[in-house]
Amino acid sequence: MSGKKVYIAGVGIISPLGAGLAATEQALRENSSAICPLSLFSLQHPPPLPAAQVSDLPASTLPRTHALAIAAALQAMQGCGQPPDAVILGTTTGGILTTEQLLTAEVHDPEKYCHHGLTTVAEAVARQVHCRGRALTVSTACSSGAVAISLALKMLQAGKAEWILAGGADSLCHLTYFGFHSLQLVDPEGSRPFDKNRQGMSLGEGAALLLLTTIRPKNPLAQLLGAGLSCDAYHPAAPHPEGRGAAKAMQAALDDAGLTVRDIGYISLHGTGTQDNDLAEAKAIRTLFPQPPPLSSIKGATGHGLAAAGAIEAVVATIAITRELLPANSGCSQPDPELQLSPLLHPVSQSLSAVLSNSFGFGGNNGCLIMARPDTLVAPRIRSQSAPLSILGSGCISGAGNTHESMARLLQAQAIDGMLALETISAKLPAGKVRRLKRFPRLALALAAAAFEDSGLEQGPESVFMGSGWGALSETYDFLKKLRETNEQFPSPTDFVGSVHNSAAGQVAIMYGATGPNITSSGGDYSFEQALLAADTLLDNNSAPAFVLGADEGHAQFSPLFDPSIQTSSPLSDGGGGFCLQRKELPGRCWVRVSFYRNSTATGTIGALIGELGAARTQLNDYGLIMAGIPAAADQEGRQQLAEFISKTALAVPVLHYRQFTGQFASASALAAVMAVQFLQRGEFPAGLVAAGSKGFSLSGKKILVLGLGTAITAMEFGCS
Amino acid sequence: MDALTEKLKSRLIEILNLTDVRPEDIDENAQLVGGELGIDSIDVLEMVVMVEKEYGVVINNKDIGEKVFSTLAALADYIRANSPDSSSPDASS
Repeated sequence: MSGKKVYIAGVGIISPLGAGLAATEQALRENSSAICPLSLFSLQHPPPLPAAQVSDLPASTLPRTHALAIAAALQAMQGCGQPPDAVILGTTTGGILTTEQLLTAEVHDPEKYCHHGLTTVAEAVARQVHCRGRALTVSTACSSGAVAISLALKMLQAGKAEWILAGGADSLCHLTYFGFHSLQLVDPEGSRPFDKNRQGMSLGEGAALLLLTTIRPKNPLAQLLGAGLSCDAYHPAAPHPEGRGAAKAMQAALDDAGLTVRDIGYISLHGTGTQDNDLAEAKAIRTLFPQPPPLSSIKGATGHGLAAAGAIEAVVATIAITRELLPANSGCSQPDPELQLSPLLHPVSQSLSAVLSNSFGFGGNNGCLIMARPDTLVAPRIRSQSAPLSILGSGCISGAGNTHESMARLLQAQAIDGMLALETISAKLPAGKVRRLKRFPRLALALAAAAFEDSGLEQGPESVFMGSGWGALSETYDFLKKLRETNEQFPSPTDFVGSVHNSAAGQVAIMYGATGPNITSSGGDYSFEQALLAADTLLDNNSAPAFVLGADEGHAQFSPLFDPSIQTSSPLSDGGGGFCLQRKELPGRCWVRVSFYRNSTATGTIGALIGELGAARTQLNDYGLIMAGIPAAADQEGRQQLAEFISKTALAVPVLHYRQFTGQFASASALAAVMAVQFLQRGEFPAGLVAAGSKGFSLSGKKILVLGLGTAITAMEFGCS
Repeated sequence: MDALTEKLKSRLIEILNLTDVRPEDIDENAQLVGGELGIDSIDVLEMVVMVEKEYGVVINNKDIGEKVFSTLAALADYIRANSPDSSSPDASS
């Protein structure tokens, strides 16, 4: 049985090589490089290192990453008569370049930081292209763009959408410029991937988006045939020395596409120009390909666009297919004999049917894509996702403590807000292994440990899905603070590695040997729901157990500045929830379903939610409790949405406003999800949480609906079979 | 044992957050990277920053780095030999 074919209907690209397909193709044909000394921002200690920057970006009031993403989106949507059903964007920088300027200018007005969050980039793109569905964000460092496209592919193949705009965007900023420099990963002479004299990468920037569809356009550019994701589970920043994870992701992409190595006509290499990446990638290629096809990395021309890179290179793959152009490995003049690889030293005109495109990132995060000439190769096999997402184990951390301590307080109808001491969070974590980790990764590891212990599993889960609104705030703050205090001289390389949004999920993978897909999602107050959505999309009936985690740290300076629901006057809260899940029929176990996720709050959205939850009234009457998550910043909107939902469904079900008890933080919904499972397992919930003085309410076999309200509308359902 | 080696031991414990290690536990002649202390490439870069900031000694070459960070004693020797201001090797913030 064949799955749905996914076509590339349109593409948008803005990179240091130029804006649009024609300019990109011309630059690639001329083998010209855009790498030159950085001039985007001034430095206290010139000379600037070589970098590649976009020169023709239209002026915008939005941060640079947003402007880049919008420029690519408008190109990709050109000629398309309808908005996409969803936007899935990979980004690591979000609005950080603007945030850095504001911090330097000592601006304290939180409103000025409203575009800091990673999710604001996808949301800006969605608004621009009138998308009323999901605006999802993937942040897996340098593989973000490829992972976002992979997620879109799986969503389309499963029939969850017909049109998705997917890709990646990142701008140059101080954090990454000084961060990579502190890791001694920047080549002072400009990136020369696979060259024997290579000394590192050159930082780049840009955006690329692909309009993907299951409805065959008249003239599709190419077909997106398969994707493979993996994690090295080896080191926070360095690749596995034998390229183990890279080879696994390439093989997974081939399997997904139903191809063998002989079908691949060109490999677009990740090839950053660092010693370790190029060595590991070459080993991985040689492991899989007895006789590698023509191959090259374009990063000696474009620089490394981080989250944009995988998407830019996916667009270049379509150029290879449609224009029969295999780009040169710019910058490389003497291939390193140790690598035993022969990258193309000049552009080549050659027709081919399929391209493999590699992207690898920090946290050992790997994403490989296969694009092909339309309708020439077999369609992938369909995956069965008929079984529910069964909950094998769960655990939470709140201001009150672990699951047991949190529940004890909730049973007394007392709040569990506040922040647990770092030592308490770390109590069960191996001191030597977490010595470099600050609050956010420790929260993630402690949640994974709690869920794993509760699951009774003997072997660690294979994949990791992590949701976080704000990521590693301590590391980001400390890096930028030290950068300022030392006049741009001595920022901490450890803080830079830790500041990456997916660093925590990478740590979980290392701790549990989780070498499968490793996706960090970010969606503000709906980040955990996005992680669950990613798990729901990727896991099939044959998948091994997975971690699904949601966490955020409270940070004294950054949290009140970035999160509009947090007031400087009120005490900070943080924590989250974690699950071990498997797509499997497990009678007697609880299950979770992510039933609805839309970033739009337009008229009709609540009606659509009700439609998704169950057209029949009997299904709606199955709920014994509604847990509503209304962020303080969207209190009025959220209450109106809830009132509309209650009135339209005429449900007479208790409503628990969980943020009143958890406190305000982006991943409060993850904590609420664990509370829901605890209530289901007990068969009742403390009614004092709903109405003061009431006694326990029995759930008598009914389900719990966890609603996310405010700027997005989401629904998670929990039940026991 | 000299003062610089002693100082480096305590700085190492501080900047690498080696909470369960005492200065006397560190053998200045033992393998530093990949040895018992669990020090890896990121820690080496953190030490590079510290050595440059506190002693004015730049280490930006991988081959030199491997020699310099082979043992703590080697690091102390390298700082002594290359410090621009050898009269105040303990100058630190």
